[in-house]
Amino acid sequence: MAALPVIAIVDDDEDVRVATGSLVRSLGYTARIYASARDFLETCPVDAPDCVITDVQMPGMTGVEMHRGLLALGSRVPVIFVTAFPTEALRNTVLAAGASDFLGKPCDGATIIRSLEQALTGGSARDATA
Amino acid sequence: MDAPVVAAPSPLRSGFAPDTRRTGRFLGVLALGFALAIFLVDAFTPLEGAVAVLYVVVVLIAARAFRRNGVILTAAGCLLLTAVAYFLSHRFFDSDSALLRALVSLAAIAISALLVLRNQSAARILAEQAELLELTHDPIFVRTPTDTVTFWNRAAEDLYGWRRDEVRGRNVHVLLRTVFPDGEAAIRAALMRNGRWEGELVQTVRSGARVVVESRWSLQRDAGGQPLAVLETNTDITERKRAHAALAESERRYRTIFDTARVAILQQDWRGVKAVLDAVPREAATTLRTHLHDHPEVVRDLRRSVTIVDANAELRRLIGADAGAWAPQSLDAFLFEDEPTFIESLLALARGETFFEGETAIRSLSGESVPILFGITFPSHADGFEGVLVFAVDITERKQAQEALLAVQAELAHTARVTTLGELTASIAHEVNQPLAAIVTNGEAALRWLRRTPPDLGEVSAAVTRVVASGTRAGEIVSRIRTFLAKTPPPRDWLDLREMIGESVLLVEREMARGGVRLIRDVASDVTLVHGDRVQLQQVLINLMVNAIQAMATVTERPRLLTVRVVPDGAEHVRVTVVDSGGGIAAEAVERVFQPFFTTKADGMGMGLAICRSIIEAHGGRLWITGHDDPGAAFHFTIPTTAERAA
Repeated sequence: MAALPVIAIVDDDEDVRVATGSLVRSLGYTARIYASARDFLETCPVDAPDCVITDVQMPGMTGVEMHRGLLALGSRVPVIFVTAFPTEALRNTVLAAGASDFLGKPCDGATIIRSLEQALTGGSARDATA
Repeated sequence: MDAPVVAAPSPLRSGFAPDTRRTGRFLGVLALGFALAIFLVDAFTPLEGAVAVLYVVVVLIAARAFRRNGVILTAAGCLLLTAVAYFLSHRFFDSDSALLRALVSLAAIAISALLVLRNQSAARILAEQAELLELTHDPIFVRTPTDTVTFWNRAAEDLYGWRRDEVRGRNVHVLLRTVFPDGEAAIRAALMRNGRWEGELVQTVRSGARVVVESRWSLQRDAGGQPLAVLETNTDITERKRAHAALAESERRYRTIFDTARVAILQQDWRGVKAVLDAVPREAATTLRTHLHDHPEVVRDLRRSVTIVDANAELRRLIGADAGAWAPQSLDAFLFEDEPTFIESLLALARGETFFEGETAIRSLSGESVPILFGITFPSHADGFEGVLVFAVDITERKQAQEALLAVQAELAHTARVTTLGELTASIAHEVNQPLAAIVTNGEAALRWLRRTPPDLGEVSAAVTRVVASGTRAGEIVSRIRTFLAKTPPPRDWLDLREMIGESVLLVEREMARGGVRLIRDVASDVTLVHGDRVQLQQVLINLMVNAIQAMATVTERPRLLTVRVVPDGAEHVRVTVVDSGGGIAAEAVERVFQPFFTTKADGMGMGLAICRSIIEAHGGRLWITGHDDPGAAFHFTIPTTAERAA
């Protein structure tokens, strides 16, 4: 039997982190939560998740820098960005870098779930809306 | 004597017979001596032979020494001497054979004299021709069919740098390193076939310089039709070619400028105008202006007589013509009725000026007016009026560019102001969106846990507990922001409200224009300076004005009026009122509009009025809302006019 998909959640805000973890678990996935991009990058090479949901603005290392780090490590894990202050410029930047999706906070659960399913089945939000 | 290049006897040599004077005199004496010797032998020796035949030699020598008359005299002398010798030695009819010999001698002398004369005459003609070849400026040489030089004229010496004695017997095309652009074999075949050829050759002269020559070859054949000699005339056209190339390059440059310039260029035919002006009597020239003004039909005819020979792409763009659709026509088509500068240009031309410039408007094909700056270059001589050059620059674009620049500057100022508010809301958005996101996500998760079979009530409870916590946190954030705004002492200055309103109006001018809103400014004359933070107060004012403009967006049945009124409020305050003619605010909503996150706008944050109230209260004033007699809402705020009252 295939193992449950593992979703990594990276957010410096504890409320958001815990809430997202709960939502992911309610969907039947395994959730791992990280308080910083650096924490996640340290564990990623030994235990890569199936998908990452990350905040953008975080102290220390931003989500965009973390994504760049993942690509540098050769990781192809899909990354979904969720930010409290979405701009068109940022959206274009992360999608051009290969992000799976880019969502604004607050976003409803259905949107996160759809985005997550697309990421796990290998499609991207852009493909889906194209 | 000259060294003739010619190897065999040929007319084509310079310094032809008679030989030079000194040699001629020597030969004359020689002939005379020889004639005397023959006479002595013939008359006084008993030799029974045709000694007199030897006079033929004297005649031949004379042919070298003398011209026509000298030869005739010599021949006559020889005939006489022969006759005298015969009579001296034989008397009359002494012997038949002696007489016969004498007659043979006489005939021989006469015949040789005639032949010499004829030859001399032919030679003279040829010599004159050769002299002409020598005189011509074109380099000419004669060569054998295998290119060996036999004649080389002075112009050839000048062009190629070799003297005739240096080229004698040499292969001329090897010497000149001739390049045959058309192919050597083909050229020689054409010469043999047609007897002549002409075309261009490239040759190298003694100095090493390359010359382009226009070459003409003529083949001379002998009686049997065999090629005997080739006469080559080579005209140096290097300069001509260079000049032609320079001209072509100049033409090409002009064409490039013409085609691609961002300046409109026209070639106009002004010959008709020139002819009319030339016909004006000199004494009438001073009254030409009056005449033209009094006779618009003359001006109209002149405008029609100026035809457009050519026009570049920029001009076509300027008058709104597609490349193919527009055929050049007369100037009249471009000018509006009573166009003033055309008459001025006529007067300038009549005064003999070669340049005229001005500013006017021309008519585009669609009839629109296009403002231009233009210049006309008149030829300084009578020729050239068929292609008068006119340059024109479209100044609409310049004006538009200026306007665009001003618009960008205004935009920049606007953005700078709005960014301050924007940055504030961005940071608030981030702060507030975090708990909101947590609330929404927790709610969603709680629902999922609840819908499971069986429901995971532990997870539901945890999620709902987090919803409450996050909600509380959001409220705390907002009150923290309000406290922050209230407690941070902003920089305080004495401010002129009249001035501040003027600046704010500039910043919302575009929103007003877009919304079709008319502004009424009503500032009481006894309003004094207020004490406060310029940027914050301006933000409040702008916020209220933008709200008012947006509130009137759906109003169609009455004028959209925005009133900004300033009146004193007691001794220590000034009251500012912003009134709109929009839909107004429902009574039950009047207090809620100042609560955070209350909004009636689809894309609103609901923070504007809350922040405004915080700002005003921090200044020691109040912000409130009332209805008024007419439809719409009125927002009022007060600002202290004393520093002491400000918090």
